[in-house]
Amino acid sequence: MKILQVYKSEPTEDVKKLVEILNRDRVADEFKLYIGEPNYDILVQKIFANDKTVCWW
Amino acid sequence: MAADPNKLGIFVTSPQHMRHILGIAKAAVRADKKVMVFFTFKSIHLTKNPLFYELSQLCAVEDIAICADSYICEGFDNVNDVPRGLIDKQMRTQAFHGAILDECAKYIVM
Amino acid sequence: MESLKVYILIANRVYNDGIRSGLGLAVENHYAFPVIMNGEFPRFSNYMSENIAWIADMEGQVFSCGAEAPTDLPEGTEIANISLEELGERMREADFIIPYGLPKQSHEPPAACSE
Repeated sequence: MKILQVYKSEPTEDVKKLVEILNRDRVADEFKLYIGEPNYDILVQKIFANDKTVCWW
Repeated sequence: MAADPNKLGIFVTSPQHMRHILGIAKAAVRADKKVMVFFTFKSIHLTKNPLFYELSQLCAVEDIAICADSYICEGFDNVNDVPRGLIDKQMRTQAFHGAILDECAKYIVM
Repeated sequence: MESLKVYILIANRVYNDGIRSGLGLAVENHYAFPVIMNGEFPRFSNYMSENIAWIADMEGQVFSCGAEAPTDLPEGTEIANISLEELGERMREADFIIPYGLPKQSHEPPAACSE
């Protein structure tokens, strides 16, 4: 299972805890949409390279 | 129906990320992927954003819709004020979101 | 068609519409689990209470995480308490996780929209 965590804003402590549990024993990647000008081509590549994407607030 | 491995579903629930939605949709099209989008609740206000029309033109008619109940609940007229880029049959129910989960192998919430 | 497990996380009091969205998936034969985070409960109108009860009838469940669920809800309307750790563990089995709407606000709502 490969999982991608996407963040639209700085993750809260609750979000960090949930991500830690979701990522446990899995291949995990992340993408921060809230920093600078996002490279959407890379984001789409990552979405299609992972089994599941969670996009947090 | 088996999910299409080349189709990205975007479920829009926030009213403030039109730039990201369009950016992702354009990048997906550049990568030869199809995009299926549903706007619900307060995100339907994004239909008044000038970028919404551009998004609507990236998707097949059957692949972009908004929640008609949400549109009406927010005070808009779903008959006389269909958002630019949509036609009346793209004013749908939450079942369209169910269709995204069934049809799209990849999925992101905006 | 495969029934999917879908968690809908509600972190902002304005976005309890995520419960209606969950019901929309439940009637499509998916398992819907709306989760109200940190006490951002809706007003429990008849419509909202019926939706919560209906989700349970469809083998889903509305949860409260981070605050005790109200106990004075109408009969048949139940919100189950769940810890953050339990929620994380359950969501490992989810097909879809939907952080819904906007994040929690920094301030309490002003009088104009507090009731």
